[in-house]
Amino acid sequence: MLKIVSVLSLLLSFSAFSQPAENTKTGTVTGTVYFKNGNPVAAASVFTEKPIKHVYTNDKGFFTLEDLPYGNYTIAIKYYGKEIEKITIKIDKQNTQIKHTLNYNETNELNEVLVNGKTKETEIETQGFAVNVIKTEEASIRNIQTNELLNTSVGVKIRQNGGLGSEVSYSLNGLSGSAVRIFIDGIPISMYGSSFNLNSIPTSMIKNIEVYKGVVPVHLADDALGGAINVVLHQDAKTNLNASVSYGSFNTLQANLNGLYRFEKTGFTVKASLFHNYSDNDYKVSGRSVVVTGLGGVQTPITARRFNDAYRSTGGMVQVGYTDVKWADQFLIGVTGSDDYKEVQHGAFMTITPYKDRFLESNALLANLTYQKKDLFTKGLDVKVNSVYGKRNRSVNDTVSWAYSWNGDRAIDFRGDEYQYTWRSQQEGGPTLAKIDRKVASVRTGVSYDINKNNKITANHFYSGIDREDSDALRSVLENTFKGTRDLHKNIYALSYELSAIENKLKASVFGKLYQQKIISIDPDIAQDEDGNAIVVDEIVNSNKKYEGYGFATSYAVSPDFTVLASAEKAIRLPNETEVFGNDGDNVVANPSINPEQSNNYNLGFRFGSYKIKKHEFSIATNLFTRNIKDRIGLPIETSLNIDDELILYVNQGSGTSKGIDAQFNYTYNKNFGVNFNLSRFSLNIVNNGIEIDVPNTPFFTMNGNLRYSFKDIFQKKSRLNLFYTMYFTDEFSYLPEQGTNTVGDEFFKVPTQLVQDFGFSYAFPNKRLVASFDIKNIFDEPVYDNLSVQKPGRAFYFKLNYSIHKF
Amino acid sequence: MKRNFIHKKTFAIAFACIGLLASCSSDDNGDNPTVDPVEPTAGRWITVAAAKMGDNPGDGNGGTLIYSVTSEDAKDPSVSIDAFNNGLIVPSNRTARLQSSEDGSTMFNISYAGDTGGNYTKYNVEGGQNFTKIGTEVSIAPYVGTAPRWIKLFDGDKTGSAVYVSTEHQFDDNGTPDDATDDTYSRTEATMGVVTLDLENSSIKNFEESSIPLTPEEEALGYYISRIDMPTLNAAKDKLYIGARISKVDPATAESDSDFEILGSKTIVLDYPSLTNPTVITSTVGHGNTNGYRSINSFLYNGSVYQANQSDPEGSHILKIDANNEYDNTYDFNLDTALGVEGAYILAWRPAANGKAIVAYRHNGSAEGVAGLQGFFALVDLNAKTAVKIDAIPYDPDFYLFQYQGFVVDGDEIYVTQAPVGENGNIYVINTVTGEVTKGAELVNTTGSHFIGAF
Repeated sequence: MLKIVSVLSLLLSFSAFSQPAENTKTGTVTGTVYFKNGNPVAAASVFTEKPIKHVYTNDKGFFTLEDLPYGNYTIAIKYYGKEIEKITIKIDKQNTQIKHTLNYNETNELNEVLVNGKTKETEIETQGFAVNVIKTEEASIRNIQTNELLNTSVGVKIRQNGGLGSEVSYSLNGLSGSAVRIFIDGIPISMYGSSFNLNSIPTSMIKNIEVYKGVVPVHLADDALGGAINVVLHQDAKTNLNASVSYGSFNTLQANLNGLYRFEKTGFTVKASLFHNYSDNDYKVSGRSVVVTGLGGVQTPITARRFNDAYRSTGGMVQVGYTDVKWADQFLIGVTGSDDYKEVQHGAFMTITPYKDRFLESNALLANLTYQKKDLFTKGLDVKVNSVYGKRNRSVNDTVSWAYSWNGDRAIDFRGDEYQYTWRSQQEGGPTLAKIDRKVASVRTGVSYDINKNNKITANHFYSGIDREDSDALRSVLENTFKGTRDLHKNIYALSYELSAIENKLKASVFGKLYQQKIISIDPDIAQDEDGNAIVVDEIVNSNKKYEGYGFATSYAVSPDFTVLASAEKAIRLPNETEVFGNDGDNVVANPSINPEQSNNYNLGFRFGSYKIKKHEFSIATNLFTRNIKDRIGLPIETSLNIDDELILYVNQGSGTSKGIDAQFNYTYNKNFGVNFNLSRFSLNIVNNGIEIDVPNTPFFTMNGNLRYSFKDIFQKKSRLNLFYTMYFTDEFSYLPEQGTNTVGDEFFKVPTQLVQDFGFSYAFPNKRLVASFDIKNIFDEPVYDNLSVQKPGRAFYFKLNYSIHKF
Repeated sequence: MKRNFIHKKTFAIAFACIGLLASCSSDDNGDNPTVDPVEPTAGRWITVAAAKMGDNPGDGNGGTLIYSVTSEDAKDPSVSIDAFNNGLIVPSNRTARLQSSEDGSTMFNISYAGDTGGNYTKYNVEGGQNFTKIGTEVSIAPYVGTAPRWIKLFDGDKTGSAVYVSTEHQFDDNGTPDDATDDTYSRTEATMGVVTLDLENSSIKNFEESSIPLTPEEEALGYYISRIDMPTLNAAKDKLYIGARISKVDPATAESDSDFEILGSKTIVLDYPSLTNPTVITSTVGHGNTNGYRSINSFLYNGSVYQANQSDPEGSHILKIDANNEYDNTYDFNLDTALGVEGAYILAWRPAANGKAIVAYRHNGSAEGVAGLQGFFALVDLNAKTAVKIDAIPYDPDFYLFQYQGFVVDGDEIYVTQAPVGENGNIYVINTVTGEVTKGAELVNTTGSHFIGAF
């Protein structure tokens, strides 16, 4: 360290020495900017136009403009969204100090609302939330991924950039990205990283998946603007074992093993789950960018097999502890470990330059602790704690500079020679061995108390912390030294009160949530010690934010087969570390005064049924929803002022609205024929600078349906054969906003209408322990796209064997 | 395609009916009436380019549309051009980078970003929304990436050229390669790729890669070429000039600097057509960048190349590079001085063959409109070094020219488009000799959108 310091100081003095001699004297202006009410203004832009100098005020409103030649200046002060204010000063000495009070106040204070709440936690489905509970029982014996299962659920849209293991985005009623929070047993899935996610976790590990749309109950309290998806892992305390292996198209192998052993006398329990997934993902693609380039750049379209898209993930979870004992329903301590490898065939789009040997790796090792007890100390007091602590790492490897062609061979240039990209990597931007190491911790604690049969309060606390460290082996120590880091700590407190009245016909809960987020930005910089030597110091800036949200959910059973449900929440999404502190690499500067995104979410639902007529049984459920978003966070447009400088910062841009309807229909006949059908349709608008547009690149209309028929004793006595058919429909949408009435060339930007149909069967052998299943996905081999021109797998076949023992 | 679409939807809806649910179907009346081809009357085609709003008013990322009228119609204020409703959407995920043949009969496009980023397409201009795609598919993406900066060279519409620069900070290991703690920043290596494209035969002509160092003194301070653009041929057609943006890192930390002394404007000079042997020349007159933005930034006139610069602390200059391929530092044409404003910034410009030019600019007095600073047009004389703001064109605060790309030069006349973001405007035709301004056809605008020029 000493060495680097002395070298740096040498270098500093050198660079100071080599500055061109100044003919004119220069001075420094320092100053402080205040709001009308006297509060200091953070992140106001302070600039002179000639010469162009530009700085931001710090948290105390303080700024310094250096090296201004003596003379008269107009200093302009701009605070986001406000008029520029100008001060004229004369610089005729080395240091000039100014103080400026703006003509306005900061207007981004939030209305403070506190709700005293209490809540319950059981029977959430009937509490009035817009919730889907997805059962995994059937899927787990078939060749169905967790993501596929979610995609068939009403109001949920999954968009995937390829086959197994590829990047996925989740959308709930039109809100996507960081507006949707995903949990495993209430712990954010991001804690586990990409090696333990919905691409890798087998459905057999999962008890069910709860999807809360717009309004999120306190047991999943987080800054979930558009809703939450919670994967609930199995929690039974009964000895069991199940194993399965599936093999199919694209060399796809998926195996998993789940087991639990409980010593009846002591309650000592050992629980383990293991999974392994592998796929070459070498499915066929074609289309406008799948070409081979020849002499002079002549293109020949081909049908290619993807050649750099393999995926592997391996992982598991082991827990030991006690179940169903006096002091705990569950007390388990364990380890979750996972590791994955994903080759990257292309970037966000499929271009004519496919990647070779670019891959991502990630792994995670986390300790976990679970404690659950009903009626702790006193009847009606339930406690639940879930926590994880550990490390997750991610790396990107892209060091091959040679260009490859869609046929998998080295590409040739216009001269016929193999060539290397100017940027010396597969993805533009240069070779990388970037590594991101994160220490993560998350604890969720829930306590609920039944005051009496009809009243219950619930308190929930959620903490998550991420300590992040970045490095790149291809960068120098110097660059790695001065790279900033951001640590993030989030605390969310939630309280709810739950009531049931009028003979349980009316159920209602109200809740309040308090969000606290602390981000620490550590930016190493050079300073001088008392001897005037340059030393590396960490510039540490904290951002502390506190916000509140609240909401309610209620249901009323008008008659036994007709229920009305209503729920609403003022939801929040806290700005992330990049939005608050910027990103050196992308020339984005800090905006400590950025506000969270907010949304007022409303659901109104009706449930009819189920009605029984002889052997027919059916039910209908619908939900009408609106999401009114404000303070959406985004980057402003490129202008001649910010094109060359580091002047871009994330800002609160405007509002948005998603409105629509979800509907579901279920029908069964004689318990062996069943139909499910659902549709979801919405419109999504945003307003920027007062102008409203329909958000492009959004699949706004989807339908899913499935049929199943079950035969008994068909080949063997006591056996069961199930036939399945599933269809997924997504209406056409465009990558571009809606165009004029008579334009041509629109089709280039369209993601066409899609109809994918799957067929499958499963056969349960008479001993009930062995189930074999066979599935054909995309029977008609339709070209399928979730994103513009990024083709997903065509027809595929999978075979799976399951073996399970529930009694020893 | 359309039949298939209806078939799928019908199928899905039929499925719903199996499910005994009466589902409401959407209205799929997607049939558009087609517009009859507009026959050219006389003269040349004028193609208007319109940039539709994406997320933000004025961002131009919601599609680039082109629509052609005859020059007679373009000059007729009673004609109305509704490119947003009737135009051809050019294939490009973000605002397309357009060029046209000198006679206006052919449009050239290289798609910017997205799956086809870097694809070259060529259209025969046939009036209205009728553009017939000609030539075969070729892409420059393998050489300069999927978001290429390209322009057409003035060699009779034969060649297009695009450039790319990648940079890498280099460090001195102090003779101890295993001990990284004593490493210091030495310089930044900038590698330039230049590709030339045969516009006539839709094929790649040449590609070369070279290092473009600055002087050792400049490099020691952390200066390097971070962006390049705007290749222009010299009069002898044996050198290509490429504009450059200079960035700087703090040598102590290798972090980028934002508040630094701006060097004299620089241009890369390399042999043409071999694209080898690059050198860097520096102006002592102008400071700031020469890489322009989306519109050609330097032009050959009277044996010299005239080049605009941007982000010049003294206001934009038009610089002159002589036939000896060096800056003529006796030629001092400062826009601030010529216009009597402060902080002039040339956003786009174009001279006619007579040495008179139209300059699109902003300055410190520009109003801040919805998409940035208000723009203006000026009539400039390269010989007399004078510039006069054209007052006959209206300047709304929301009229901005940052993304401006196209000027039509037809003899002494230059055509420009004018419309504030989201509001209607007009084509204006400036006689560069007389200074006379003709208000031409009306440009029908749509919400949050603007026009990026005429071709």
